[in-house]
Amino acid sequence: MGEFKVHRVRFFNYVPSGIRCVAYNNQSNRLAVSRTDGTVEIYNLSANYFQEKFFPGHESRATEALCWAKGQRLFSAGLNGEIIEYDLQALNIKYSMDAFGGPIWSMAASPSGSQLLIGCEDGSVKLFQINPDKIQFERNFDRQKSRILSLSWHPSGTHIAAGSIDYISVFDVNSGSTIHKMLVDRQYMGVSKRKCIIWGVAFLSDGTVISVDSAGKVQFWDSATGTLVKTHLVANADVQSIAVSDQEDSFVVGTAEGTVFHFQLVSVTSNSSEKQWVRTKPFQHHTHDVRTVAHSPTALISGGTDTHLVIRPLMEKVEVKNYDAALRKITFPHRRLISCSKKRQLLLFQFSHHLDLWRLGSTVATGKHGDTLPLSKDADHLLHLKTKGPENIICSCVSPCGSWIAYSTASRFFLCRLNYDRVHPKVSKMPAFLRSAVQILFSEDSTKLFVASNQGSLHIIRLLEGSFKHLHTFQAQSGTVESMCLLAVSPDGNWLAASGTSAGVHVYNVKRLKLHCTVPAYNFPVTALAIAPKTNNLVIAHSDQQIFEYSIPDKQYTEWSRTIQKQGFHYLWLQRDTPITHISFHPKRPMHILLHDAYMFCIIDKSLPLPNDKTLLYNPLPPTNESDVIRRRTAHAFKISKRYKPLLFMDLLDERTLVAVERPLDDIIAQLPPPIKKKKFGT
Amino acid sequence: MVQLRPRASRAPASASAMVDEGQPASEEAEHGLLLGQPSSGAAAEPLEEDGDGDDEGDDEWDDEAPEELTFASAQAEAREEERRVRETARRDKTLLKEKRKRREELFIEQKKRKLLPDTVLEKLTAASQTDIKKSPGKLKEDNLQKKNEECEKGSESKKAKEKVQSIGQNKSYVALRLKDQDLRDSRQQAAKAFIQNSLYGPGTNRTTVNKFLSLNNKRLPVKKAAVQFLNNGWGNQKKQNAKRFKRRWMVRKMKTSKK
Repeated sequence: MGEFKVHRVRFFNYVPSGIRCVAYNNQSNRLAVSRTDGTVEIYNLSANYFQEKFFPGHESRATEALCWAKGQRLFSAGLNGEIIEYDLQALNIKYSMDAFGGPIWSMAASPSGSQLLIGCEDGSVKLFQINPDKIQFERNFDRQKSRILSLSWHPSGTHIAAGSIDYISVFDVNSGSTIHKMLVDRQYMGVSKRKCIIWGVAFLSDGTVISVDSAGKVQFWDSATGTLVKTHLVANADVQSIAVSDQEDSFVVGTAEGTVFHFQLVSVTSNSSEKQWVRTKPFQHHTHDVRTVAHSPTALISGGTDTHLVIRPLMEKVEVKNYDAALRKITFPHRRLISCSKKRQLLLFQFSHHLDLWRLGSTVATGKHGDTLPLSKDADHLLHLKTKGPENIICSCVSPCGSWIAYSTASRFFLCRLNYDRVHPKVSKMPAFLRSAVQILFSEDSTKLFVASNQGSLHIIRLLEGSFKHLHTFQAQSGTVESMCLLAVSPDGNWLAASGTSAGVHVYNVKRLKLHCTVPAYNFPVTALAIAPKTNNLVIAHSDQQIFEYSIPDKQYTEWSRTIQKQGFHYLWLQRDTPITHISFHPKRPMHILLHDAYMFCIIDKSLPLPNDKTLLYNPLPPTNESDVIRRRTAHAFKISKRYKPLLFMDLLDERTLVAVERPLDDIIAQLPPPIKKKKFGT
Repeated sequence: MVQLRPRASRAPASASAMVDEGQPASEEAEHGLLLGQPSSGAAAEPLEEDGDGDDEGDDEWDDEAPEELTFASAQAEAREEERRVRETARRDKTLLKEKRKRREELFIEQKKRKLLPDTVLEKLTAASQTDIKKSPGKLKEDNLQKKNEECEKGSESKKAKEKVQSIGQNKSYVALRLKDQDLRDSRQQAAKAFIQNSLYGPGTNRTTVNKFLSLNNKRLPVKKAAVQFLNNGWGNQKKQNAKRFKRRWMVRKMKTSKK
């Protein structure tokens, strides 16, 4: 495996923003997640829960509601009073439309998917018609006294339930008038609260309305008579979210204490047809408020202030007991937030509204294997670069020579030149020349800049001393507007590989400025790309943990790649649940591939035999006193180290030095909003 | 005692520099660029230099009475200090005034530069309506050319820039009525306050992160250090009271010593 000096970096104080809404799409098995900073992410649940796409956030766009409508169309609404539709192909906002009702708290698509209902701050409920290109206002319902915080359609589409403060109203869709107004008790464990906020409602097809409120109650109402049927007191704090399964035989609620309760419709006695709702299972996967829940046919999905997205498969719904039935907890984005300048030993950290540039520390001490060396020079915070305006940063990159920084927001692309003559680098900004970028990459010698814009085109820019020149634009393949999310360039600068979210990887010849070849498309999205030095082999990692090696000059898969596909990967390797986010190579050892995901770092040695399912995949380092024969017998191609986790970035600085950027979860929790107080026995 | 530096000699040079590099400099400032350690602020430099001069004077004066400080000398020192503070405040004011004046001049000059020469303007007024319609385009072109000439880059970068403008000018402006925006902002603020109050306001039974993390620690066999050692909020009221008392005490002392 080789010995390395490792820079263990823990000063990247990145805190993901909390999850506000999740919306599950049954047709495509995708999950849309919106965060408190306005970011919207799309996870593909059938592709190993990979985060395929994301839409950058915006300061004023606090998303409060998210829903799918008409199949694959995604809408969001927020406190700035606008309804937004997202373009899932070009990865930008198709349009935003003011609803003229003040901040929007809730949104629901009709069961047929052709209408959209929103609840506003001023107490109005508005109905919009979804047209193929836009949405159109249809009419207002009877205006209520206070804000509408939750909405739900009856599955037949004739009635709706709207939760407000202290009461639930039931509307008739045709007339738009209120049929019933059901007052909710403010009492909470005998103590009267100031108000009772209805955080969520669900309308079932038999006319039952389920409500969850700030007093910790889950209540069942009969919408025909407007009466309370049953109350479950589930929490000492707010119950903030509810989601019902499509079959209406189970639902899930999330509380501010971080508990998720599963309710099921079960028979009263073993052979009677009479059924009732019973609270069956509590799950405690969150530490903070569960702001939102979703119910997919096989799993409970929850997200909240503690920034974890938890997918809990229901054991009774899972047919095959394989690794898909395990709990998934997604905390970190599946894209790189860190870039590294090897020459100057710089790290660029990307936050939502600023960039931080650090110079790594150094040491003169030497030690044995496993020693912690004292720093002779501390890490240096060189630059804090704030963005202008309210938009979040999409992507950023520092050039390998360290003298250029490029980053992009949704509306502008920025290129800065750094001058290191003084103690702190001087930054000079280049004029704007592009609207926005999805991915940025510098060539190894820092003379070329590759920018993937969000219309599917790729720009090549030549960088000179203090100026730049636009060289060429590769237009998207005719008929597609899919944007390229990943880029890789060969160290000699001749080849550029680019991959979108679904189609295959395109390889361009940078010298001749034309498309060289396209790697055959694979079912699962690409998570990382890299081109090896000298051999120009393209290594591609997919979200199902498959790794392919493709020779660019020969336009075919390499022998090693064919062998490993024939033999198959180790079953433990295929069960890993975080995607491989970075691939690099050792300059002196051409047989090694270095890669990492969030919980392990791996060196694949192509010269060693591949492991089969009987061998130990995660072998600890063999003791040195054993004979060479045993060591050679137990050695296989995958050398895995799980010492650094959660690992956000790892790269080779030079032949003997690695840099690893970790982000301990405790440090993130320490910066989150306060949780609910709970009494624990014995403390 | 404190002499103002002859700034007049420096002012025109800097003004011309601003004219030349006016746009990039201001853009950089808008861009919100911050160095890692704000201690090396460029704006503070001239003042510090002036201060150094004063300090030297003080040092000489100190040499005469090195160790012992009688009440009278301390009083004199305090008065001196007070006078110096007043002086610096006055100087800052004049500097600010000067800066404002300079900027105004610059604006006027820029406005003048933007306008076409008088002869052209006369021609334009004399010309027919159709000509006027054409002229804005021309004006823009003129400006563009000027800009390009000002750019001190090679011909290549110029080309790139032209291309850039063709790409970048698709949709750079959105018209808004500010009145609506204010209303919307205030409503958004109110909505945010509502959600904050209902989740984290009084009566919501929240704990602090530190207490929450210490719960686990209490039951662990190996006790670890708290996540946040220092509580900065501790004794806030007392600290404020002490500060206020100190200020009052100083003012009282000054008054009594003057009498």
